[in-house]
Amino acid sequence: MEMGGSSESPSGQKKGKAKTPNKLKESVLKQKSPAEFFAENKNIAGFDNPGKCLYTTMRELVENSLDSAESISELPVVEVTIEEIGKSKFNSMIGLVDRERVDEELYDDYETAKAREKRLAKEARDQEIQAKNSALGKKIKEPSAAKTIKGRGGASFYRVTCKDNGRGMPHDDIPNMFGRVLSGTKYGLKQTRGKFGLGAKMALIWSKMSTGLPIEISSAMNGQSYLSFCRLDIDIHRNIPHVHLHEKRDNKDHWHGAEIQVVIEGNWTTYRSKILHYMRQMAVITPYAQFLFKFVSESSDKDVTIRFARRTDIMPPVPIETKYHPSAVDLLLIKRLIGETSKQNLSQFLQHEFVNIGKSYAERLIGEMGAEFSPKMHVKSLSAPQIVRIHQLFRQAKFDDPSGDCLSPAGEYNLRLGIIKELHPDMVATYSGSAQVFEGHPVIVEAGVSVGGKDVKQGLNIFRFANRIPLLFEQGADVVTRTAQKRINWGSYKINQTQDKIGVFVSIVSTKIPFKGTGKEYIGDDISEIASAVKSAIQQCCVQLKSKIVKRIQAREQQERKRNLSKYIPDASNAFYEVLREMALLHASKKKRYEDADAEILSKVSTRLLTKEVLSEELAKHVEKVDYQMALEYATQTGVGEEPKEDIYVQSLNPKSNFIDLRSPLFLFRFFQ
Amino acid sequence: MADKRKRRRVEHHDSDSDADTAHLTPKPLPFQKRLKSDSGILTSLKQFADSIRDPPASSSTTKKKPLTLADVSPSLSATCREVTDLSLSSVQSTIETLFLFLTKSILSGNGFSFTVPSRSSSNHIYIPELDRIVLKDKSSLRPFSSVSSVRKATITARILSLIHQLCIKSIHVTKRDLFYTDVKLFQDQTQSDAVLDDVSCLLGCTRSSLNVVASEKGIVVGRVIFSDNGDMIDCTKMGVGGKAIPPNIDRVGDLQSDALFILLVEKDAAFMRLAEDRFYNRFPCIIITAKGQPDVATRLFLRKLKSELKLPVLALVDSDPYGLKILSVYGCGSKNMSYDSANLTTPDIKWLGIRPSDLDKYKIPEQCRLPMSEQDIKTGKDLLEEDFVKKNHGWVQELELMVKTKQKAEIQALSSFGFQYLSEVYLPLKLQQQDWL
Repeated sequence: MEMGGSSESPSGQKKGKAKTPNKLKESVLKQKSPAEFFAENKNIAGFDNPGKCLYTTMRELVENSLDSAESISELPVVEVTIEEIGKSKFNSMIGLVDRERVDEELYDDYETAKAREKRLAKEARDQEIQAKNSALGKKIKEPSAAKTIKGRGGASFYRVTCKDNGRGMPHDDIPNMFGRVLSGTKYGLKQTRGKFGLGAKMALIWSKMSTGLPIEISSAMNGQSYLSFCRLDIDIHRNIPHVHLHEKRDNKDHWHGAEIQVVIEGNWTTYRSKILHYMRQMAVITPYAQFLFKFVSESSDKDVTIRFARRTDIMPPVPIETKYHPSAVDLLLIKRLIGETSKQNLSQFLQHEFVNIGKSYAERLIGEMGAEFSPKMHVKSLSAPQIVRIHQLFRQAKFDDPSGDCLSPAGEYNLRLGIIKELHPDMVATYSGSAQVFEGHPVIVEAGVSVGGKDVKQGLNIFRFANRIPLLFEQGADVVTRTAQKRINWGSYKINQTQDKIGVFVSIVSTKIPFKGTGKEYIGDDISEIASAVKSAIQQCCVQLKSKIVKRIQAREQQERKRNLSKYIPDASNAFYEVLREMALLHASKKKRYEDADAEILSKVSTRLLTKEVLSEELAKHVEKVDYQMALEYATQTGVGEEPKEDIYVQSLNPKSNFIDLRSPLFLFRFFQ
Repeated sequence: MADKRKRRRVEHHDSDSDADTAHLTPKPLPFQKRLKSDSGILTSLKQFADSIRDPPASSSTTKKKPLTLADVSPSLSATCREVTDLSLSSVQSTIETLFLFLTKSILSGNGFSFTVPSRSSSNHIYIPELDRIVLKDKSSLRPFSSVSSVRKATITARILSLIHQLCIKSIHVTKRDLFYTDVKLFQDQTQSDAVLDDVSCLLGCTRSSLNVVASEKGIVVGRVIFSDNGDMIDCTKMGVGGKAIPPNIDRVGDLQSDALFILLVEKDAAFMRLAEDRFYNRFPCIIITAKGQPDVATRLFLRKLKSELKLPVLALVDSDPYGLKILSVYGCGSKNMSYDSANLTTPDIKWLGIRPSDLDKYKIPEQCRLPMSEQDIKTGKDLLEEDFVKKNHGWVQELELMVKTKQKAEIQALSSFGFQYLSEVYLPLKLQQQDWL
């Protein structure tokens, strides 16, 4: 809806730009389909360059898979394969699909006419120069030609396959679900990973732009005897699916879920680490899912296979679709709700379509609206000015804050397990804040802080999640990064910001995440409600960690006490010996007299019976004794084996048993029937 | 460099006004008209100085010889600790006795441990009768066998052995020298300096008795002649820079002076101004600065001047809480060195300026006043709680005014009327009015 509206203005701009080359076309009014708009502005959806396209494609498919599995409360199993396709293999693939060639040429013109013109002009110029040079007898002119060839041949292609065990799709809906931009099942007001119905379609548009190959979908729903197979691409100009093959096949294994396969241009080398980071962070925030990530290249030495095992079988509850909060709606939205509502009169409409408006409150509101409003008036008969009046009142009136019940945060339990599973930290603390409100949308901030671990670099390692998706780009400007770096005094929690391996995990869930910029990449630092919630959540984690760290420091002191004390023995015995030696000299030269025991000591020094070494030895013995006493005391105070061993998770063999879950943010009762 | 430039600017300004207003009388500085002739001021100052030197008969009957800690200790709730000047040989034998005792302890397998008087802020007390801070007798154990104190214990042993060497060789070194004898152990000069103070507490002697001195910081200029290690120094012939106050006060002697008062200046810049204008020739005085917080040598020197010459001491400090704090360190000692406050403090210092009430009295322009920061105001309020402030009613009033107006000003604020306003008008007027607290 929103996207459809905004598509008009960029296309207008586009027209303005295209004005110069051909004046005849100027006055022709053009219509842009949403698909065309997104094909032209694919960076909005995170398709900036081939490398990022590969990343975003993979990511969108994985997120759809998770949403799909969670929607039927099935523990997700997601298999992602990225297969590198060499040039020759790619060519043969296009060769096979003969019918596509025509279309692709059309597409090629559309996209790269300018580039080709430029290239041809440049090649012609190069040839000219080369001819000149050869005429002059110069030889070195190879590199530039080689470069152009390399640039065009350097495009590499990948087949991205994502298979899940989710809901699957109804056979007849498949073409529209993939071949129509801005159509989707996730448009309601609820916490979802995807939002605009763009992801899979953008992947398809990109595949069409870069390879021209169609997308292949296999899907089966639970209990369905057949398996839907569909091969389709998109008619970008009309924003409708173009189906190549759509048939029902045998579903022998009673599999349900979806498998999507798309061939796109990409760049594995530059985005390898981002993709792997994404998978790892996804594994942190969804420890109840099982991921298998495979990269298959032509040369097998570059192959990557990573398995992210399931760590728990408790899933966060499915987010509930909620109604709008009166302070979060705009004029258009009110009009739409009026158009869609099944209620007849105004009072019922207010109570039914919005949260936090009860019967009496609705009547008070209507009374406040003015004389021409009445509770029983027909809601569809409201005039435009009347709707504006409702909107104004919504803005000014006081409503209770929306509750966070409709949200589905990862939960401290899952966040903690995810961190432990993927990072193996020395210690970890988690905290889940209460629901906050930002512009009428409930927001829950959860945080985890870990210290130590494997594959963690020194200093701050920030992991950001929004609606349980990892955010990897634009880290510097993000509210979490800023807060962790600038507003947390790590030193006061005995954490060294530069030396320790600190993992900061912040997961923000909301019915509307206030992303900054066009891509869903980061949350700005300017929203004070969110900034303070993030800060306090991280601080709460740090407070928990502090006591653990203090204990650990004490334990370390125990271990290092002997070494720390022994370190000073030479200096101390040296100081004593120097004074004693001087005194012995004075004593021997009879400048000064000392009595009995003192004289005895000094004579021992003179006869080298008492030396620096003797003093050192005595001090060492003393240190030994003290250390033993202290260690004994410490052990009796704290007890032995206080560190808990890591508990093991054993996957249940029979996952189909029936049970009822009773949830709390921190734990869960499961009753087996 | 900066001073030269400053002087040139002053001269330039003078010649300018000469050219423009040759036919007019030069514009007087504010309040200049109120000044009487110098001779008049001098007479009144002389009377004041005399009254300090030879107290009138009525007060002399009440005034005995200065009180010592021993005199007041019976009336105190807690016993207090004070150090005395010890001769080199007695310092040496104290160290030797201590080391022999500790050696026996080591040889019997018990390690060693120092009992060091605590110099923490909770272990101080202000004694109104003495008008200075003294150290209470709380002390802490510094055993070698504890992780938290092993380092300090080792450093203490090392410093003691170094002092022992100094005693045998009978030479003086600076704190910096001491630090450089074992940089690896001391790590940081603040650590060796702190332990040095601990050691003088521990041995019960003044820091000067340890033969360790700080590098020179304070300077003096004016109508005083003294001998430094045998050389006669005439402080009227010291130029603008002044004579560095010698670190070894025991080498200073033969004080002679015809000054009427001692002027204590907080800052180098104001000192420079007064020295260049030869303020001490117009009003016979001795000018001293320690460039901020005073070091031991300056405090000892001031005390010596005051006790031998019996002159009034007037202080010129910034109108901010830190100015008053510096004043208090001269007057009743710092907490860090409270064990030796008997030798370091100079009683009865008068607060001449710049006082908060002067800001309005002398119409110092708004742009020269600074707003006090949160920290400043807090320091000011804390000072109001201090006993040494409370005992002087005038000071309390001034400080309350400062905290109320939330304004502070440096001595340099007076330069807004001309660079020489300080020496030409402000100080003479203050002296004429005997405006000190």
